[in-house]
Amino acid sequence: MTPRLSGHGLDIQLPARWEGRIYQRTAPAVSPATAARTAAINSPGGQPHPVMHLANFALPASRGDFGTGAVETMGPQHIFVAVVEYAADCLDTALYAPRGIPTLTAAQFNPNGLQRRIVGQSGFQHFFTEGGRPFCLYVVLGSHRHAAALCGEVNTVLGRLEVVPA
Amino acid sequence: MIALVTVETVVLVILSVLVVGLLRGYATVLSRLHELDSGSGSAAPPFRTIPEVPEPVQQRIEGRAEWAPAHDIEGVSLTGEIISARTVGVEHDTVLAFLTSGCEGCAGFWQELEKDWAVPGGSRVLVVAKGPEHDSPEQLAGLCPPGVDLVMSSQAWTDFGVPGSPYVMVVDGRTGRVKGEGSGQSFSQVGGLIAQAVGDSRRRIVKPAADREREEDVDRALLAAGITPADPSLYGTLPDGPSTSDAGAGRPR
Repeated sequence: MTPRLSGHGLDIQLPARWEGRIYQRTAPAVSPATAARTAAINSPGGQPHPVMHLANFALPASRGDFGTGAVETMGPQHIFVAVVEYAADCLDTALYAPRGIPTLTAAQFNPNGLQRRIVGQSGFQHFFTEGGRPFCLYVVLGSHRHAAALCGEVNTVLGRLEVVPA
Repeated sequence: MIALVTVETVVLVILSVLVVGLLRGYATVLSRLHELDSGSGSAAPPFRTIPEVPEPVQQRIEGRAEWAPAHDIEGVSLTGEIISARTVGVEHDTVLAFLTSGCEGCAGFWQELEKDWAVPGGSRVLVVAKGPEHDSPEQLAGLCPPGVDLVMSSQAWTDFGVPGSPYVMVVDGRTGRVKGEGSGQSFSQVGGLIAQAVGDSRRRIVKPAADREREEDVDRALLAAGITPADPSLYGTLPDGPSTSDAGAGRPR
């Protein structure tokens, strides 16, 4: 039986070889695009929001919300997935208008979609609302050349992800 | 002219047959060499008996029979992070250090973790403490250096049958088995065990096909004689004592 990762309203039955972690951050999460422009991430007094990290490789203990510290260790067959919840005041904004956990295609991945470009890797970022909760999905593939094969594995994982409604 | 073309065609056909024959010969040689090199699989094949031979009762194994099964680890970190870490069915080996905040013997391990102890062969190190109901997160936080992966999981202690602390286990990621375990005063002290266990997984035993066939022949002969796996005669002396002439019959294989 494969392990189940559950907490803070996020739940997933992990596929073989996949592991994961869920933690809460008190500062508002900063998207990869924003983080690239600003070094100020922590903002005292923010509401805690869960961050789920999933990977088909060994996740290190120290990681940034969008995988800094983990993506550097990835091999070509590895995948990193971050599901980051944002504050409820983001709801009803255009950015979070898409509904539901997405199904991805290989064409959506782009080496320029990475928070910090790493040779060979490819990234994808998507904002959406599920269960009345605003999320950012950030996926890193270890190899852009293998995007078609890796994308199928990503969709398998996302298909198992369940969000408890707010 | 027609005769010349005919002769050339015949010569061409003969040469083609010769070339095809040569290529086939090379393919056969390569195939035999490949078999001698234990086939194409990157890992050793799983243990199994030949079709006619029943498997030993309660001894079904997929990897190495002498290794106890490992388990994935689920727990929480000192900061409350919910963790599900894989040790089974993964590419890397995992060094599990079962430590507590109270044991005197664990001090050396905590100190070496602070010194950034070098993990052999790219293995992952997980410090496994008991859950908050059995150990103090505050004391553990004082002992565990930043950046060290610590999971609090009483279930893991139970799953792995940890006899006490400190205790170190090395899990083979590919087979999902514990391939080394022991205790000591520090990582350095059990470093030999860890290095040997990690190194063992990189030295694969290449068994020639001839050996495999010979073993199958022996199994068939034993089966024909009514001797099946786990038969007492394979492991010790016969109950009534064999005669001197066939004293070797009761010795282990």
